[in-house]
Amino acid sequence: MAPLITVENLAKEFRRPKRHTGTFGGIRTMFTRQYTVSRAVRDVTFEVAEGELVGYLGPNGAGKSTTIKMLTGILVPTSGTVEVAGTVPWRDRERNARNIGVVFGQRSQLWWDLPLRESLRLIGKMYDFSREKYHANVERFTELLDMAEFLDTPVRQLSLGQRMRGDLAAAMIYEPRVIYLDEPTVGLDVVAKERIRAFIEEENRDRGTTVILTTHDLDDVERLCRRIILIDHGTVLYDGDHAALRARYAPYRELVVTLADGATADIDLPGVEVTAAAAGSATLRFDPDRMSAADLIGAVLARHRVSDVAIVEPDLEGVIREIYAARSVRA
Amino acid sequence: MSAARRRITGAYECARIQTLIAFTYRTDYLFNLVGLLLQVYLLRVVWTSVYGHRVSVAGVTLPTQIAYATLGTLQYWLFNPWGFSMIPERVRTGKIGVDLVRPVPFLHQIVSSQIGLTVGLAPFALVALPFAVLLGRAAGPASTGAGAVYLLSLVFGYLLTILLASIVGMMSFWTTEVSGTFMMYRMVSQFFSGALVPLWFMPGWLADLTHVLPFQATTYSPLAIYLGRVHGGALVTTLAVQVLWIGLAWLALRLTWARALHRVVVQGG
Repeated sequence: MAPLITVENLAKEFRRPKRHTGTFGGIRTMFTRQYTVSRAVRDVTFEVAEGELVGYLGPNGAGKSTTIKMLTGILVPTSGTVEVAGTVPWRDRERNARNIGVVFGQRSQLWWDLPLRESLRLIGKMYDFSREKYHANVERFTELLDMAEFLDTPVRQLSLGQRMRGDLAAAMIYEPRVIYLDEPTVGLDVVAKERIRAFIEEENRDRGTTVILTTHDLDDVERLCRRIILIDHGTVLYDGDHAALRARYAPYRELVVTLADGATADIDLPGVEVTAAAAGSATLRFDPDRMSAADLIGAVLARHRVSDVAIVEPDLEGVIREIYAARSVRA
Repeated sequence: MSAARRRITGAYECARIQTLIAFTYRTDYLFNLVGLLLQVYLLRVVWTSVYGHRVSVAGVTLPTQIAYATLGTLQYWLFNPWGFSMIPERVRTGKIGVDLVRPVPFLHQIVSSQIGLTVGLAPFALVALPFAVLLGRAAGPASTGAGAVYLLSLVFGYLLTILLASIVGMMSFWTTEVSGTFMMYRMVSQFFSGALVPLWFMPGWLADLTHVLPFQATTYSPLAIYLGRVHGGALVTTLAVQVLWIGLAWLALRLTWARALHRVVVQGG
């Protein structure tokens, strides 16, 4: 099956007139012929199949939002090609618009002065969406996103979490094939985040909606995506399974043991490293391929009286932090 | 459904949204109207004092002049609800990003939004009209025919106003901060449209200059028709000139937009 989204050697440069400072700097800036060129996206290539849920990650200024803006047809790329559901987004905006939904966490597509219900209705009409399906979707979204209590409130009076739920509903009410979510959980509390994640997961699973998600919240990624595309400086650093990435970076687990009587751990086993030890507790790092957790626990129990044990998986955040710092992915 | 029908539906919905928004701010607009009526009244006071005991100045009678000033003020208010264009605000706040993922072409969005807002404001203007006529004691249309042609010419003048303002509004894609330029555009367009001073009071060279600029077709043309200053063959010419300017402005706007598209930068991440 042909991929739904194809991105090839995509690049975007921004040209800005060079700023002059000092006397008459402002006027010189106006008439300047010199430009500074910044390359937000240098060379990005990937494909996404229909029904995938992909996390598009990178540090601030890596080129994530610029890529999303080219995928949605807002920006015209400097070079390279994009095709979404058979359409070049910036060439045929109208057709592309009907295939996609977009949520920008930083700005709303709802009308500030109108009640949420009215915004949704107008969007349904603007996209010329079937009336029955529209009503069914409003009902379903109201339930899933718990919007009943603020459906008739003007958007400007909504809390951030409510507005974001409203924006999600607005982007999906006409059932687009692809949905781009640009930091949909930014600034939200735990409950609101969870509700939004559950909604995205359900739409992707039950409706087969393809989702491209950019976020700085790696809990979003671990909860929702299998595949991640990691970019920095406008190029792709990694494209694949995030579990595989984590295994490559952190092929270990940790066993945290709490010792009875506040004893100090005295454990010396081959292939096991004590990464933290204090009176009454110890953290042991081990490779699950070389030693099973059960064997390790057995060995610890043979030496000490233990009141509690816990196995900790290394988190994606640590891995990503390391990649960002190194600006490359280990082979 | 056909592409053409879809486009019309989309543009219609954009217009409706603005009409709804205009109504949510009705108290605001009502206050606005009080200011407008005050302006109409003051214009009458000034022109009455200017005329003194003279019956006519430069062949223009006082009631004609007052009708011109009253209608000119009302028209300007109705035609320029955004200051002059919605584009700079959309670019400055980055809302342009949202506009560009709508299934309605951006130019259609601009024009239909403006029309929608004016439709929302029209009831206020209708409320103001009888008061304005009373306060200003303005003359009625020269004839029923002149009144009818005035309405047609008014629609043309309105479309031209939107198109010209949108072309200037497009400048915000090149220079992000444009308020200074826009102030100047407002002043120039208002002056050369004849909204401040009727063309008949301008010295020869200035009136000539005004005639070759598009702005007079937005305000002066319909008013001159209303007052019966233009009739017979000149009536057809005046309307034709308006239509010509509309055509040229639409072409220029399309051209500008085709270039602006490559300049789109979405502000604020």
